[in-house]
Amino acid sequence: MSMETTVEQIDGAVPVTILALDGELDASNFRELIDTVKGLYDEGTRQLIIDLAGLRFMASSGLVALHSIVQIMHGEEPLDPEGGWQALHSLGGEPQTEVRLAGPQPAVDRVLKRTGLDRMFVVHADRYTAIDAATAPA
Amino acid sequence: MRTGTRPSTRRLPLRDDGARTAVMTGASAELDLDAVVAPFRGLDPGLCLSIESADGTPIVSTSLAAPDADAVTREIPGGALSGGRIRVWGAASGAGIGPAVAESLAAALAAAPVTDLAIAAQQAADARRLEEELAHGRRLQRSFVSLIPPAVPGYDIAAHYEAAREVGGDFFDLFRLRKRGRPLSVVVADVTGKGIAAALLMAFVRPLLHAAIDHTTGPARALERTNKILVEERRSSLFITALAGELDLPTGHLSLANAGHEPPLIVRADRSPPTWLEGAGPLVGGFARLDVPEISVHLEPGDLALLYTDGITDARAPSGERFDEWRLLESLEASRGGTARDVITALADTVCAFQEPAAPADDITIVAIRRLPSA
Repeated sequence: MSMETTVEQIDGAVPVTILALDGELDASNFRELIDTVKGLYDEGTRQLIIDLAGLRFMASSGLVALHSIVQIMHGEEPLDPEGGWQALHSLGGEPQTEVRLAGPQPAVDRVLKRTGLDRMFVVHADRYTAIDAATAPA
Repeated sequence: MRTGTRPSTRRLPLRDDGARTAVMTGASAELDLDAVVAPFRGLDPGLCLSIESADGTPIVSTSLAAPDADAVTREIPGGALSGGRIRVWGAASGAGIGPAVAESLAAALAAAPVTDLAIAAQQAADARRLEEELAHGRRLQRSFVSLIPPAVPGYDIAAHYEAAREVGGDFFDLFRLRKRGRPLSVVVADVTGKGIAAALLMAFVRPLLHAAIDHTTGPARALERTNKILVEERRSSLFITALAGELDLPTGHLSLANAGHEPPLIVRADRSPPTWLEGAGPLVGGFARLDVPEISVHLEPGDLALLYTDGITDARAPSGERFDEWRLLESLEASRGGTARDVITALADTVCAFQEPAAPADDITIVAIRRLPSA
């Protein structure tokens, strides 16, 4: 029950951080993932791509992690009693673009779709299309 | 939670000046100088003792004969004594420490941070109390979930609920609606995440959902209303996946609404392969609106509907393999001819055996509803 994370930084006009997940995301490690992203945000990451290509399994705790990650990348403390739902409310009909998901395997893609979490994210086929989208001039 | 921290000191090599130093371990953040000094009493009163934090900041330097009383309230840089050093030397005479004193001193140093021992005992007591509280919480949680389904003529209904070691957020509900015809309401839900927060949210949501179902026109509306209340009144990163259904008893018409939950399995009496009833909206508590579609299925005499939580399919064997949906189907194929209770027991036993020797990591909930063959 383990997951490895790899962080890559792409410098450019729009710097992008790629966080690749390898293994299984579940109740045993979702808090570590949140902490990892908190660290990245504190170090200046403002565009994050989560590469799911190596993620074989995601339990429901993974959804909690993804939600918290969106909050962190919005500059909010996760579970902040005053700010908890602002991230979601401010989304309106459009998914946010600070965090992008890339290359989910079918099992993970199914969880995202079934739970509606795919409404919260733009899900790209792979990391390269995600990088193109994240760095494209607005 | 920190448990079983066993404080100890690690002796460092003898210094040239004859001083002895020990590194403190343990988690205490307060300096109990009396306790630190106690083991050295009765040695040479001319000895001096100093304590510095892990980063070398001096905290106290005092003679054993007259310990500095103010040091007791002194703040520890970095918040913890762990990694700090106790140093004892014979400064008064300027001479080194003699062999006899050195031996007692070494023994005293080994026992030095007795303050940590007291704290470890306190931590153990706290851990025990927390464990008791958790067990109490599990019993209370269990009491919310009545395992005895309501008597429903013409149907065979059974339910299974098994809490994980760490309290989880599964729940189910089976009750007769107040409206005309007294249809049967069935709910299976799972609060994401674990622990006290999930259990509390479960205790909050279960009656809310129950009331919503009893006061709206159908399961989709009930989920929508529950979602609205949660999104407006509650702030957290926890969600609920929920499957809510309403069964019209005379016709076997089962209408369902699925908010991000595992879809129900329909096992037909004609021995065709079981099928999942697809069609769902997002989980409850995550979005301002759910827009969950209402889906329906007709239970013919002999047909069985199986509702469950991800504790089944996500169950993990020691090898790392997941139970998955194919094992669920396999278990159903073997037991489909039995009663609702047989089907559930077979599945729960298979999942349990699959995980052994590990205890279930997640709650497991199963509800089976079979329309009895016409008499």
